[in-house]
Amino acid sequence: MSNETILPGASDDETAVPRDASLFERIANNPRPAAIWAGVLAVLLLLEGGAVLSMLAVILRGLVQAIPGVGAGAYGLNEMVQSAKDVPTLLSREFIPNQGYDVNGGNDGPWAGTFLGLPPAFAWFIRFALVYLYAGALVAWFINGYRVFRRHYRYADWTPRDDVVDRFSGHTWGQFGAIVVLIFIVMALFSPALSPTTVERNIEQPYSYTIEHFDEESGQVEEVFVGEANTNSRSQGGGDSNYGLLSYDDYGRFHPFGTLDSGKDLFTFMMYGARVSLFVGLMAIGLSGFVATVAAMLTAYYKGLVDLATVVVGDSIISIPQLLLLLMAVAVFRGHWIAAIYNRGFLIALIFAFTGWPLLWRAIRGPALQVSSEEWIDAARSYGQRASVTMRKHMLPYVVGYLLVYASMTLGGIIISTAALSFLGLGITSPTPEWGRAVAIGEPYIATQSWHIGTIPGVLIVLVVTAFNALGDGIRDAIDPQSEGGESTEGAMTGGGA
Amino acid sequence: MSRWRYFGRRVALSIPILLFAMSMVFLITRAGPTDPVRNIIGPTSGPGDYHRIAVRLGIERQVMVNGEVRYVDVPLWQQYVDFMTQLLSFDLGQSWVLNPSTSVFELVAVRAPRTIWLGFWSVLIALFIGIPLGFYAGLNPNTRSDYLASFGGIVWRAMPNFWLAVILLQILSNTRKLFGFSWQDLGPDTTVVRAPALDFFADPTMFITSPGAALFGSDGLLAAVKVVLPAALVLGSSSMGNEMRIGRTAVLETINSNYIETARAKGLSERAIVWKHVFRNALIPLVPIITGEAFLLIGGSIIVEQVFAYQGLGQLFFSAALSGDLPLVGALSFIFILLTLVLNIVQDLLYTIIDPRVGYEE
Repeated sequence: MSNETILPGASDDETAVPRDASLFERIANNPRPAAIWAGVLAVLLLLEGGAVLSMLAVILRGLVQAIPGVGAGAYGLNEMVQSAKDVPTLLSREFIPNQGYDVNGGNDGPWAGTFLGLPPAFAWFIRFALVYLYAGALVAWFINGYRVFRRHYRYADWTPRDDVVDRFSGHTWGQFGAIVVLIFIVMALFSPALSPTTVERNIEQPYSYTIEHFDEESGQVEEVFVGEANTNSRSQGGGDSNYGLLSYDDYGRFHPFGTLDSGKDLFTFMMYGARVSLFVGLMAIGLSGFVATVAAMLTAYYKGLVDLATVVVGDSIISIPQLLLLLMAVAVFRGHWIAAIYNRGFLIALIFAFTGWPLLWRAIRGPALQVSSEEWIDAARSYGQRASVTMRKHMLPYVVGYLLVYASMTLGGIIISTAALSFLGLGITSPTPEWGRAVAIGEPYIATQSWHIGTIPGVLIVLVVTAFNALGDGIRDAIDPQSEGGESTEGAMTGGGA
Repeated sequence: MSRWRYFGRRVALSIPILLFAMSMVFLITRAGPTDPVRNIIGPTSGPGDYHRIAVRLGIERQVMVNGEVRYVDVPLWQQYVDFMTQLLSFDLGQSWVLNPSTSVFELVAVRAPRTIWLGFWSVLIALFIGIPLGFYAGLNPNTRSDYLASFGGIVWRAMPNFWLAVILLQILSNTRKLFGFSWQDLGPDTTVVRAPALDFFADPTMFITSPGAALFGSDGLLAAVKVVLPAALVLGSSSMGNEMRIGRTAVLETINSNYIETARAKGLSERAIVWKHVFRNALIPLVPIITGEAFLLIGGSIIVEQVFAYQGLGQLFFSAALSGDLPLVGALSFIFILLTLVLNIVQDLLYTIIDPRVGYEE
């Protein structure tokens, strides 16, 4: 084969590129597809200008302030953050406001203060739909980026990874999981824009904020505290005090999922609750996945005593039922400073990481052992390659796919367990919203007209957990079509019986 | 390696596991940030009470210095040795906060039968619903009822126990409003949330001396079953889904194997094939699933018992952890860990007996 070759699939730009050209050289040789792709991203980021700028500004401020000896207000950084926040953003409640008041009462319009004078429900829904359109565009941009890379910039015509991607794109069940998981992640990332109000205004400090509404008795527009409005919008089962699905309260506020028994907005509670679930889940999986991978590499490479020691330590951790350990740790760390971080979210994530890694390690131990007995590992060893390099370059890529499968399934279990702990009052504490706490709040009202408080969080948990399981199934079938669900996954995905 | 040597190695391995797990419990309860003594006496008591309890827990020691009583901290390693020897010789100590000066043995003796009763029924319900459904789906693959059963199984498995328990509890408490009949009056009169009376186990002669009361009375067998059913259904839910899924795949795999084809070619009736050859072989992969359930039951019993106010071991552990009764928490953890390890060994034993290939694969 000559050293000069033609890029595969690039019929319109048949330029010769040397075989060992780097990605940058390839892009420089044919910049058009990459430029279009980058241009789309620029447009997408521009739409969210304010959010992107303020995020960068906050990060910059954090970095500068971390330098010893720099004061909190140095170099006008606070002003910079503030001015970044003033840049218009498409998906913000300032740009598409849904909080307004009916100019003559009765929640039947015309409305003042809302987006284009639309009813709050429509204004909120437009913002909600735009957020998901935007997220969809981002995902499409990402997938398209892979296609562009594959078509124009990759040297190889075909790689084994293409088969994995193709198998996944034919897996409806796995795609359903991926889509619902994406919806869940968007929920967590964009919760301020998705909710009809913010957690700060409505849930954490309702008596620090006010809203305007038309008072029927006095016949004019008045200002009330959010807390006061909440008190008059409670869902408590009996009588008139129920604000169910898709309802307005007396203050012109729209509640897509109804209100809690304290009058707070359930939809806002759910959106922000997704945040803490995702934080706990990702942090726990990240930590335990890291430990499990390192352990799997070491045990598969060295075997023998290292393997036996890991078995003993891992089995000891597994032999204590996970919920038992969680309850014990939460009880012991009560009042400790670790428990105060993120209303116990950090502590719970740490415990999940501690209890979770042996299960993950067990799940990837088989594939790791299998790859470690391949001839190329022997070859690398006799060739004198360092052990750490062999593990990273020749063993890890084989195991990562399996890790993803079990991580996805375990995440569902962690979400369930976190919700269960919060339901019992030992998980995420007030005021951080958590789905399990909404179930606890709604428990007494399930058989009444305020049934929505206790059931909607449960349905969402079922949906998200099913989706994580489906995604795991999809990835597994994509990387290893011959395999069937092993028993080791069954315990992981149910959260140890929670 | 022979099967029995493999089994022996597994049993031997469980000893270091038990020691290591108990060391973890010791570290959490004794060396953690919470002072077990302060938790017991409360923040307001004086130093006299503190020392009295600390001595009894083995955290401090009395010494006489110049005819004066002084209290000296016992070093942590000494505490560790005491803690381990006491538990391993089954000296479980007593409860301090929850039921002051009741021995742990007494508490466990009252609570354990209820939890075993709950576990028994949840395994039974899961078996008798999950496996038939799975086999049915496997025998009729890709039909509408297969999809319905499979999808139901997937959703059922993803349902959090605590949420299912809450929904079921509320529905059962409001059956009169929702369905027009009352669950409470159905059969023996029992409230939804209570622990079952299992006196008939202690005194089986009841069934002969007063069979009416023993069977149908408010403390009888039927009442005990009725009380345990909702909780057992919730506790068994995830296992039910698992059994269904595995059962379905197992039947599908067996039915497509060569020896079934041979049997069919031989002219064996479809009935004989299904009952004699498919079902019996399909049951093998279900054994580890069923024993594996036990782990879910131990963890899950904490939640389910708490929601249904079913006063078993799980609920005892929960209240102990909540009230900071750390000596009780430690003793109960020991029981749970021991239980898990014993179940592990039983599982290995079953494997060894059923599957001759065990031990040959490395």
